Order: sequence, then C-alpha cells, then structure tokens
Amino acid sequence: MSDTIPGVSMDRLVARQQQLPEPSQRDVVFDVDDLGVSYSGKPALKDVNLEIYRNFVTAFIGPSGCGKSTFIRCFNHMNALIPGAKIHGTIHYHGADLYGSEVDPVEVRKRIGMVFQKPNPFPKSIYDNVAFGPRVLGMTDDLDGRVERALEHAALWDEVKDRLKASALSLSGGQQQRLCIARCLAVEPEVILMDEPASALDPIATTRIEDLMHALKKDYTIVVVTHNMQQAARVADMTAFFSVERGEEGHRTGVLVEYDATPKIFTQPSDSRTEDYVTGRFG
Amino acid sequence: MSVTTLRAERPRGRTSSAVFKAFLYVSIGVGIATLGTLLITVVAKGWKYVDLVLLLEPPSADPQIAGARPAILATIYLGLLLIAFSVPIGVGTAIYMEEYANRDRWYNRLLEVNIQNLAAVPSIVYGILGLAFLVRGIGLGRVLLAGAMILTLVVLPTVIIAAREAIRAVPDSIRQGAYALGATKWQVIWRQVLPAATPGIATGSILALSRALGETAPLLLVGALTYVSFDPTILGDFTALPVQIYQWVARPQEDFRVLAASGIIVLLAILLTLNAFAIWIRNRYQRKW
Amino acid sequence: MRIGLQEELDTLQASLMEEGDLVLRALRGSFEALEQRDPELADEVIAFDDEVDKRYRSIEEGIESLLARQTPVAGDLRQVLALLHNNLHLERMADYCVTIAKLTKLAYGIAPDAKLMESFDEMASRAEHMIKVALDAFAQRDLEGAESLVELDELIDRANRRAVQHVLALGSNPELREWGLRMIVVSRCLERIGDHAVDIGEQTAYLVTGEFREFTDASH
Repeated sequence: MSDTIPGVSMDRLVARQQQLPEPSQRDVVFDVDDLGVSYSGKPALKDVNLEIYRNFVTAFIGPSGCGKSTFIRCFNHMNALIPGAKIHGTIHYHGADLYGSEVDPVEVRKRIGMVFQKPNPFPKSIYDNVAFGPRVLGMTDDLDGRVERALEHAALWDEVKDRLKASALSLSGGQQQRLCIARCLAVEPEVILMDEPASALDPIATTRIEDLMHALKKDYTIVVVTHNMQQAARVADMTAFFSVERGEEGHRTGVLVEYDATPKIFTQPSDSRTEDYVTGRFG
Repeated sequence: MSVTTLRAERPRGRTSSAVFKAFLYVSIGVGIATLGTLLITVVAKGWKYVDLVLLLEPPSADPQIAGARPAILATIYLGLLLIAFSVPIGVGTAIYMEEYANRDRWYNRLLEVNIQNLAAVPSIVYGILGLAFLVRGIGLGRVLLAGAMILTLVVLPTVIIAAREAIRAVPDSIRQGAYALGATKWQVIWRQVLPAATPGIATGSILALSRALGETAPLLLVGALTYVSFDPTILGDFTALPVQIYQWVARPQEDFRVLAASGIIVLLAILLTLNAFAIWIRNRYQRKW
Repeated sequence: MRIGLQEELDTLQASLMEEGDLVLRALRGSFEALEQRDPELADEVIAFDDEVDKRYRSIEEGIESLLARQTPVAGDLRQVLALLHNNLHLERMADYCVTIAKLTKLAYGIAPDAKLMESFDEMASRAEHMIKVALDAFAQRDLEGAESLVELDELIDRANRRAVQHVLALGSNPELREWGLRMIVVSRCLERIGDHAVDIGEQTAYLVTGEFREFTDASH
C-alpha cells in the first residue's frame, strides 16, 4: 500500500462488483404472460409471468414435476414435438409473439438454441457435429472458421483441434457436453437454453460447464433448468422458483412461486415455500 | 465364521443345473450334426464337378459339358433388381411408419398389422399372385422382371421390419438435438436418422436377399423355365439357380445328380458369402449408444 | 475454475483494502485535528465515518451473498470468515478515530502538554504503521508479517501505560486536569486501534494455518 492517500473510489468498487443493471436498464428478451402448458388436456404448468433479461443467466429451480423443463421447452418450440402438447398464454420474443400463426419453428430454433441433460453428440466426427447446424441452415461460408470459433467459445478447441475427424463418441462425458454447446454456438444463436446441462457429469466437468456459462453470458442470454439449487446459486443472476400445486382429483400442476435476483432468493426469499425449498426443509 | 459355514449345505440346484446344461449341449449337438451331415454329403458328392465349366457354360444334355451360367447370371440379375426395388420401397415405408404415421389413426394400425402378417405368408402364394396379376393381368409375360417383382413382394415385409428396427434403434435424443439446431423434419431423417440406421438396414436387406435367392416355388409359377441355354435378359425368358438345381435333380442320369450337388455348392457359396458380408457390416458399424 | 467465486473473493478483498485506506485517512485526519487543535477538521473526520460505514455494510452484504450462493469450503471459507472479522476490526478502528475527533472538539481550547503530544505522535505513527503491516500481511498471507504485529503493539501499550503516569503528574490546574483525563481516553483509543491491528494479524494466521489462536495473552 502506498503512502499517498487514495481518493474515495465508490465507482471503481461498484464496477468491480459486477452489479446487475438496475431494472430500468435491463433489456427484455422474453416477456412471458399468463403462460400455461397442458399435455392432452392435463395442465402441467399454469399462470407463469416473468421476463428474461439479455446477457443474464436465469435459472429455473424447483422439485421434480414442477414444470420447469416443460417451461424451458416453450422458448424454442420443442414442446411442439410432443403430441398433445398445448400452450396457453403468450411469450413475446423482442416484442414478437413466439407462437404467432406465421412463426416458423426453424427460424425460432436458429436464434434460440438448446443443450440437453444427457450429452447427445451425433454419431459423426467432431467436425461434422459442430458443422451440422450451419450446414442445415445454409451457413456454409467459412465452415472451418465457424467450427473453430464455436469450439473455442465452448472451451474445447485446444483439446480437440488435432483430432477433428475423430468420432464424437470417443470424447469423455464432460467433453461431449461441451461439444454439444459448441454445436449450439455454431449457428450463432442469441439465447442458449440449457436443460440440466451438468446433471449427468462428474463434479470437475460440472465446474467447467459453470465457468463456461459465466464466460458465455457476456455474449449470450442463458436460461438454465437445474434440480441442483446450489448450482443455480453459483451461476445464475436471476432465479425463478417453481413449485407443485395439487388440484382437484389430485392432479399436479406447476406454478411459479417467486422470481428475483439470486442473492435475494438465497438470503431473504419473500415466499415461505421458497424458503422451505432452498433451506432443504422440503423438496 | 469358519470355512465350513461357507460351504454349500446341500447341492440343491446342482443336479438341475447339470441336467439343463446337458440338454443345451445336446441341442447344439443336434443342430451342428444335422448341418454338418448335410454339408459334408453335398460337398462330397458335388465337389467333382465344381469348376469353371460349371460356372461359365450353359446347360446341355451332356453332363460333362453342362454348366449353370444362365442360372447364375439370372440369380445375380434377380438379386440386383431385388435390391433396387425392395430397399427404396421398404425403407420408405419404414420411414413413414416410424417418423410420420400417427399411431392413433386406424389405417396406420391396419398397415402395421398387415405387414406383420405378410411376413408369414408362404412364398408360393406370392407366386400365384404374380402369375395372376403380373404375368397375365398386365401382360408382362413370364419374364425375369416379373420374377424380380414377385421376389420383392416376398422379402418386402422382412426389409420393412428390419428397417423399422434400425430406425427405431436411433435414440430420440439424436432427433431432438438435430431439431433444436433448426433442422426440418426431412433434414433430421435424411442427415441423421438414415445414416445412423444404415448398418441395420443393410444387414436386414442382405439377409432378406439371401433368403430370396433360394426361393424356387414363386419363380416356377411365374415362369422360370427349367431348361434355358441362353443368357437371360430382363424382359426375356429366364431360369434361376434353385430352379436349375431342381431340373438337374429330376434327370435320371447319376451325373446330373452330381451336377445338382455342385449347383447346390455354388448356391450355398453365394448365400454364405452374402451372409458373411451382412455380419461383417453389422460388426464393423456396431454402435454403442 | 470457479471463476465466479474467485472474482467475488477478489472483489471483497479489494474492498477491504480500500476500507483500510479510508481508515488510515481517518486516523491521520483525527490526529492532525488533535495536534492542530482544529475543531472543523474534527467535524470532517466525524462526517467521514459515514464513508467507512458504507464500505462496511457493503462488504457485509457481499459476504452474506457469497456464503449463501457459493458455499465456500476449506481455504475459501477461512478467507471469507477472515474478511468478515477484519471488516469489523476496521470499522471499530474508524469508530475510535471518531472518538478521538470528538475529544478534540471538547478539548481544543486548552493548551496541550507538549511532551504528551509527542508521545501521542509516536503512538499514532506506530498505529498507522501497524494498520499497513496488518493489511499487507493479510493480502500477502504473510504469517511472519502478521506475527510481527505483536512486537509493534508493545510500544503502543507501554506508551499507553506511561500516559496515565504523565497525566497524574500534570499538576492540579483543573483545566489541565480535564484535558489530561480526555487525553487518557485518546491514548486508550490509540491503544485499542493497535489491538485491532493485532487481531487482523490473528485472522491472517488463522487463514494461513487453519487454527485460531490469540497471539498473546490479553491480560495487559
């Protein structure tokens, strides 16, 4: 420490602490209004209202059956692949209705990518895995460059750059999941959805994925579903807690209980159900 | 705890285990013995006449110079046509049933049941079908093409079932991953599902093919002549190796019986090669999902 | 690995160091006010304590949030607990500076005893030095540096004991006696500041060794 008296540096402190932007300065990517999802007439999720902000990591936590996976799949039309699935309410993506009559699911999925719980690399070479998205979407200019950049952003390039032609199935579990992330990044999405991305991985691989999320949020908006609430606590800026309500006939429906900045959820949650869940008293 | 307490109290299951094992060995023995006997008798009998004459010369009344060339060529043509017809139709049907069909609709369920049943229909029924509709009905005549079309029908259910199994074996996670990247349904099928299912489809098709090449009854009905001394063409008269063998067996001379055995050796060689090829493909491309 | 956790720990550490800078500034300010008998400067020092309090609360909240979200263990946990304690020690030091300033405001009218002021000058310099040594040792995880604080504290303790004798010898002038009593409290404040610096050293030792022990018996 020097002998000169430094000035009071509140600004430096604020900047270094990476405070979240104030609510008025946040960019809304998704605006969810009264959303509900039902499978063959049975409601799985209802009355969800929240906003997803740009360059934030937003986590959905809650006990099993609370509809968080169902919810995240609404953002990229993946529920459409399940017969009997119906969406009620609206999701606006940058102001446009995501489920408008003219919306093409392919266009949606180009901008909103997804990483799944169990790594699902295609049974092809590492290169072909990452190149698949650009190829089917017609982004074939500078394919080599795209593949390299995607693998770099997924923190996998150094480990595979000498064996791009090797089968993707020869990678370890953690590497496979990073490959799936690279695959997703190669089509240059705006949003990355992650459905329990680390639950099939060992702790070291999990930490690497979490560090990756931290790095990626500078350029992407990330939404992650996790059943491990400590993981949500570590990586997420905003956390949404879902719980299960029992309706008549004992039917279980998911509902959104609380949605707030992560430190608040884990230090002073507003709802007692949230408190019970994060303290592990029920779940 | 001493060693004595760990020893088995009574050899309770021992006897039944031993009996069961003996039964298994006997079963294998019967199978191997039968097959072995068949092979050895045929080879011993027919080996004499397995030479280039057999392969390159047309049949004749003189067993010394008789060959099976037209029959071998016809069998090869039949095989190629069979693949050309049955694989696209079979795989296409399998794709429809696995990827597009809505199982709740009655016609799809009907289709499902139909195909299972058709696989069990005796091949001679197809022969009659061919005679009625192809040879006579549309006037195709008793030609190689008709034979190929009939054999296609014979093997089609098997190809469809094999292709469906191969397509079903592709995990859904692969499809989901491809959809999530923005692929259309067709792109998912063409670029992910089919390439991944290809080894299974290939294996199934080759096995179906090797069954078809041994068929005699439908070919006879559709007009395979028993004596053909010229090289076959697609729209001409034809015979096939099984038919040729049948014809030789029917002849009185002992030499022709030997020739028949030689023909069987050739046919077996073709079938075994095809089957070995199918097994090789299956092993080479075996996937651990 | 665990980039998020590391960034938060680094940020808290940097905030603590900045709080230390503020405390040094308060100490110098309060002593100058005492020496120059300047009540306005003393008021500034008292107002300045708000800055320290803001820092203190911000670090407290940061630690609360970090514990809730990052579940640190082992060395990380010890670092967080050490930050928590040192935060408190710094805040208490700043409060003592405020006390000195308040006493200055009460006693500035009276002519000071030169010798006692000289002694205080030494004590204040020593205290300032100890704060720097303590915080540097904490930042560098320097065990030896932390342990050296005990000896440094000796001088302040002895000077504090001598101050009582000195005041008793001041004579029977009532004004001077009042001044003397107030100065004993000032002396006590400086001595307590030294003790808190030693406490910071103890936290450093805890961080490095995992064991908490008092450096010396607290009986003096």
